[in-house]
Amino acid sequence: MQPVLTLNGISKSYGKIQALKNVAFEVPEAAVFGILGPNGSGKTTMLSIILDILKADAGSFAWFGKPGTPETRKQIGSLLETPNFYHYLSAVDNLNITHAISGRGSAADIDHVLEIVKLSERKRSRFSAYSLGMKQRLAIAAALLGDPQVLVFDEPTNGLDPVGIAEIRELIRELARRGKTIIMASHLLDEVEKVCTHVAILKKGTLLTAGPVDEVLTNEDIVELSCSNPIHLHDLLIGFPGHTHIKLEGNKVQLFFPIGTAPMEGINRYCFEKGITLNLLFAKKKSLETKFFELTND
Amino acid sequence: MFALIKIEWLKIKKYPAFWWMLGIVALTYPGINSMAYVGYLKATTGKSLSNNLAKMFLGNPFAFPDAWHSVAYFSSFFILLPSILVIMMVTNEYTFRTHRQNIIDGWSRSQYITSKLFDVLIIAVIVTLVYVLAAAGFGVYADSTSVNRWTEGLQFIPLFLLQTFAQLSIAFLLGYLIKKAFIALGIFLFYYLIIENIAVTYARFKMNDIGRFLPFEMSDRLIPAPPFFSRMGKDAKEAYTRLIDLIPEHVAYTIVLTILIWIICYAIHKRRDL
Repeated sequence: MQPVLTLNGISKSYGKIQALKNVAFEVPEAAVFGILGPNGSGKTTMLSIILDILKADAGSFAWFGKPGTPETRKQIGSLLETPNFYHYLSAVDNLNITHAISGRGSAADIDHVLEIVKLSERKRSRFSAYSLGMKQRLAIAAALLGDPQVLVFDEPTNGLDPVGIAEIRELIRELARRGKTIIMASHLLDEVEKVCTHVAILKKGTLLTAGPVDEVLTNEDIVELSCSNPIHLHDLLIGFPGHTHIKLEGNKVQLFFPIGTAPMEGINRYCFEKGITLNLLFAKKKSLETKFFELTND
Repeated sequence: MFALIKIEWLKIKKYPAFWWMLGIVALTYPGINSMAYVGYLKATTGKSLSNNLAKMFLGNPFAFPDAWHSVAYFSSFFILLPSILVIMMVTNEYTFRTHRQNIIDGWSRSQYITSKLFDVLIIAVIVTLVYVLAAAGFGVYADSTSVNRWTEGLQFIPLFLLQTFAQLSIAFLLGYLIKKAFIALGIFLFYYLIIENIAVTYARFKMNDIGRFLPFEMSDRLIPAPPFFSRMGKDAKEAYTRLIDLIPEHVAYTIVLTILIWIICYAIHKRRDL
């Protein structure tokens, strides 16, 4: 299947600072693609390049297999960095401009997207009178206008309160269920872990990893166990064959195996035969946070 | 093309500064000409010898056909009013970062500059309309006996439009390059009101009038001082005739400079990071 977006060796410098170094990956159709990285890792620079706001020094990108053009941008709902609107115009007037430029949506759609982001009551107020969260909601509404098949969100929950964050997370899930492709940059790992199917991790302009979340997060099997005497359990499991290393974390023991090799039944039998009755035994996935720090820490 | 104008209209129609500036222009252009007209009436009304001499020398600069020229000349001093509007409109896009959003939403970079070119053109046309109405009003009011000569001197309408568009294009270039409204306005006013006037005056006496090639002076010479200034002696008359003869040359210079300004804007916008 044709990838929605392909990046080929994108590089970009600001003077002596290299913001992106030879970044290449693909975003498959219907993926919720999270782009992670600490502040200054090049997330926004990368999104700016694929939206023709910045010019890459080297490399190329393709939307739907073709070089990016104004026509392809019209089909993509985008929120880049900050909500960019005319301060003296209302939400409706601003979305009329979005509609006029992109051709996405209609007058009825404008009301509909404002309803989705819960701005209907203030739709005639000037943008300058909006709170930070309301501005962000309007930017999301603009991206949703015309129900585009592809959405680009740069830090979509910026400035939102906890309820707002949960609403946007649910909105992204709903869009994903409807088969939309969503490219989302964020430094909120929890947010990405909860909604993304794919992830790319950037650090100082270098792509550290990219792929389906399961593949990126799972490069070893972790088995978590516990019993009434975890220290004894720990000492006993040192003798269990096949594991790479073992950790005692509070009253739990973590046993690490090469990917796909954790013998759950064997562990259970081994403990039972040694006279230990387990009260916990499960295969644990590494959290995105753990993986992220593992990759991005120097 | 009409789509671009329509979108610019969506941006402008609820922009308070646009309407304020339009109102100020609509008041200022007739206002400054009224002051000049009142001055003329004071100098020429009465039966004393000086009044009659003034009348003889000045003619009636506000009657047709001179009204087209005189009103254009006095109005052109106030180009800085619409210039402020042009600078505000281009720097606003940077302040609101909408210059990026317009591209994200699907404009090409050249469409963005074309939309701005239309903004400048529309403002130049509106300002020219205000001038035409003011000149026509003075022409009819100042001397009803010469109304039948209204078709003479109509060339000042396109000259005024060209001058306005050219000078607003310079204002646009400054706003476009500098991005910050107050800095761009400061540089514009300082250069337009002070630097270039000093340079032009100095060049007139010391450097064979080379100052006529400076950006504003180039198009200022499309509308030289009206003929009543030149009725005071042979030298003045010769100087006036020379200025009139040079108008076609300055039309060419102005068009070349204005085209160059817009080519620069298109070229920069095509390449630069937004």
